[in-house]
Amino acid sequence: MDFGLTETQELIRTTAREFLADRSDSSVARAVANGDTDALESLWKDIVELGWPALIISEEHGGAGLSFGDFAVLLEELGASLAPTPIVESAITSRIIERFGSNDLKSDLLPKAATGDALITPAIVERDASWDATSPTVAATKTDTGLVITGEKRFVAFAEQATHALTLVRTDKGDPALVVVPISESGGIEQIPLEHVAGTPVSSVSFNELEVPEANIVATGDDAIRTTEELIATGSVARAAQLAGLGRAVMDATVEYASNREQFGQVVGSFQAIQHHLAEMAIASKQVNHLVHSAAWSFSQDGYSVERAAKAKIAASEKISALCWNAHQCHGAIGFTWEHDLHLYTRRALAWKTDYGDSSFHKSKLADAMGL
Amino acid sequence: MRFDFTTEETDFRNQISTFLDEMLPKNWGGPAGLSDDDGWALDQRLRKELVKRGWLVMGWPKEYGGADSSPMMNTILADEMAYRRAPGLDGFGTRMLGPTLMAFGNEEQRAQHLGAIARGEVQWCQGYSEPNSGSDLASIQTSAELYGDEFVINGAKIWTSMGHRADMMFMLVRTNPDEPRHAGISLLLVDMKTPGIDVQPIVNMAGVHHFNQVIFDNVCVPKENLVGDLNDGWRVGMTILNHERSGIEFAAGARAAIEELIAYINNPDSPVHSAKSDPAVRIKLAELSTEVEAARLLCYDVTWRHGQGLEPSFEASMSKVAGTDIYQKVLEYGLEILGMYGGLEPASPQVELQGRFLKLRMLSTATTIFSGTNEIQKNIIAQRGLGLPRPPRPPGLANK
Ligand SMILES: Cc1cc2nc3c(=O)[nH]c(=O)nc-3n(C[C@H](O)[C@H](O)[C@H](O)COP(=O)(O)OP(=O)(O)OC[C@H]3O[C@@H](n4cnc5c(N)ncnc54)[C@H](O)[C@@H]3O)c2cc1C
Repeated sequence: MDFGLTETQELIRTTAREFLADRSDSSVARAVANGDTDALESLWKDIVELGWPALIISEEHGGAGLSFGDFAVLLEELGASLAPTPIVESAITSRIIERFGSNDLKSDLLPKAATGDALITPAIVERDASWDATSPTVAATKTDTGLVITGEKRFVAFAEQATHALTLVRTDKGDPALVVVPISESGGIEQIPLEHVAGTPVSSVSFNELEVPEANIVATGDDAIRTTEELIATGSVARAAQLAGLGRAVMDATVEYASNREQFGQVVGSFQAIQHHLAEMAIASKQVNHLVHSAAWSFSQDGYSVERAAKAKIAASEKISALCWNAHQCHGAIGFTWEHDLHLYTRRALAWKTDYGDSSFHKSKLADAMGL
Repeated sequence: MRFDFTTEETDFRNQISTFLDEMLPKNWGGPAGLSDDDGWALDQRLRKELVKRGWLVMGWPKEYGGADSSPMMNTILADEMAYRRAPGLDGFGTRMLGPTLMAFGNEEQRAQHLGAIARGEVQWCQGYSEPNSGSDLASIQTSAELYGDEFVINGAKIWTSMGHRADMMFMLVRTNPDEPRHAGISLLLVDMKTPGIDVQPIVNMAGVHHFNQVIFDNVCVPKENLVGDLNDGWRVGMTILNHERSGIEFAAGARAAIEELIAYINNPDSPVHSAKSDPAVRIKLAELSTEVEAARLLCYDVTWRHGQGLEPSFEASMSKVAGTDIYQKVLEYGLEILGMYGGLEPASPQVELQGRFLKLRMLSTATTIFSGTNEIQKNIIAQRGLGLPRPPRPPGLANK
């Protein structure tokens, strides 16, 4: 075992911290939550310039070829900074296309994803709010040239910014299929923007007899289920990494507050009740961090550990949201205000704990993997 | 022992329920989606009706406009109102200031204020906390100096709930600057329209304007507005806090939320209807429901003690801790059941249950903080209830 960072990872962390401190303070998160899409797009442009969407794309397809473990280090920093960006959506869809897409699809889309010319977001969930990969209802009818897609996907992150949606559909044979659907054109597509606790764009996307070429199919049948499950697991570990960073940032801010706020002639951090809250936050934060990096480290060219991925998301979802509520408790009334940034973190944590499957979803996956 | 309600009590609960059926808007699920102004209008409408029925101050003695009814009846009213998420019960006037004036106020003060509270005509607010004095209230610094017939108040109060709606404030002020703690504090009644008072809104993390900062700049208040003796405000003001707590509203809110969730997943049209047959959901809801009942019984125990003439002290702290904890847990679980829908704000398209669980979970964050944080309540349980020693305090901070 080695819990240290590699040189590359140190570099990623330092660069990310410097950039984010300068470019993504809470005013950016607040602006984007208020619907300022310019702020979102200009931050994304800078992030693309840093090469972050290209980080885990192979060199062959215009990326940097770094590992998912390296990427997790970056995601922690992004989570800690509240940066409103579609980096997770972009990276996980790139990885899935790289692993399962046809050569044509890869050489068409991946270089564009690396340079920000394409932004691909997952579209999995439907009205039943489920992340289950086996039962999509959006219909895909086969024609001579490809598929015609009709139906509604819900909770599609950054759909307004995305050029494509990696969409789970059901073919007329009754099999699931995972397809890259272009969504930036207006014909055949309707978007309903939702108001979401994440404070970043989320929409429902309806397809009305939208034609998609055959080449855009990434997987069908059981392969589509397995591929979608990997997409969800990848997303869940990415969210867990962001949650780990977020938890650390909230813990640090709470230690800082408790070390300065005085009541009864002493800092409130001197009361054991508060010390114990903070100690629990510290334990949770470190545990989540380890589980996340263990899971991220398991991702390779050949796959990932289903168990580790599930454990990372279960722990991150449960422990980091609890950590945020604990932080509110330690802050007293000041942390209950709109003006204080604490609730921005809590909102993100609430959104991320359900994204890509909540803890009960992953508990069930884990139980399967454990042979139960 | 006896674990049911008398016929009279059950009848009363049913009456309240029928009353609320008539009074509350159709499909009422609580004020989550209501604007601040609409919420206040509903509060005022209900308060007037409560007065008409003789319920607003039913626990008060007859001579002050009450009905001398038992603490049990009073708690049933609070329970049922909170269960329906109905506004209108004025905690500051009816439950805090009223009983305090009965105990410490003089004849003029009682005559002037009790009737107006009983008739639902006046909104009071509570000016205790200050930017540097939250849990440690005895450290307040807002000063009131006596010049002739008037106190002149300078300083800042904060987190003043309803300050922007209030006609009057009862406030703790420092009247003896040489006594930095309990012994130098007095309780004053202040008209919010007095020149020099500036009410500044503070928006909370749920996006609601509920509390305020209130600045006092040479605010002159007649010396007749002192309640109790000069520099005896700590004793007077703490009586107010003791009247504040039965805690039933949290258990009631939790009970309402559980029932709402069950009805929701039982509904075949609900997008998350499949949760109904998930064994983990069944077990979790059963677990939460047990905790809610456990908290509820603590609250009724506090009420029963009141009725027996026993002054509840640490028991009220227990019910507050148990009630607020379970209230937050139930709301949090509601968000889990709602899954991705749990993340939608009340104003969003495609929202489920009007986005209420998200809003209420945000709002409920305050319940473990206000009226004495749960840490402070646990200190009280350990020290007053279990007789454990108090930890040493820095020199200069005399124990209460
Ligand atoms: C929604 C809301 C409405 C409110 N309405 C009013 C109102 O109308 N009028 C009014 O006067 N006030 C009001 N308050 C203020 C409320 O009474 C205070 O927030 C509360 O007393 C805590 O004070 P604080 O927020 O300054 O936290 P602090 O006292 O600074 O506490 C910070 C943390 O330290 C802990 N702590 C402090 N002392 C100890 C100790 N001795 N041992 C262990 N832990 C300790 C606390 O538990 C908390 O976790 C309201 C607050 C809220 C959130």
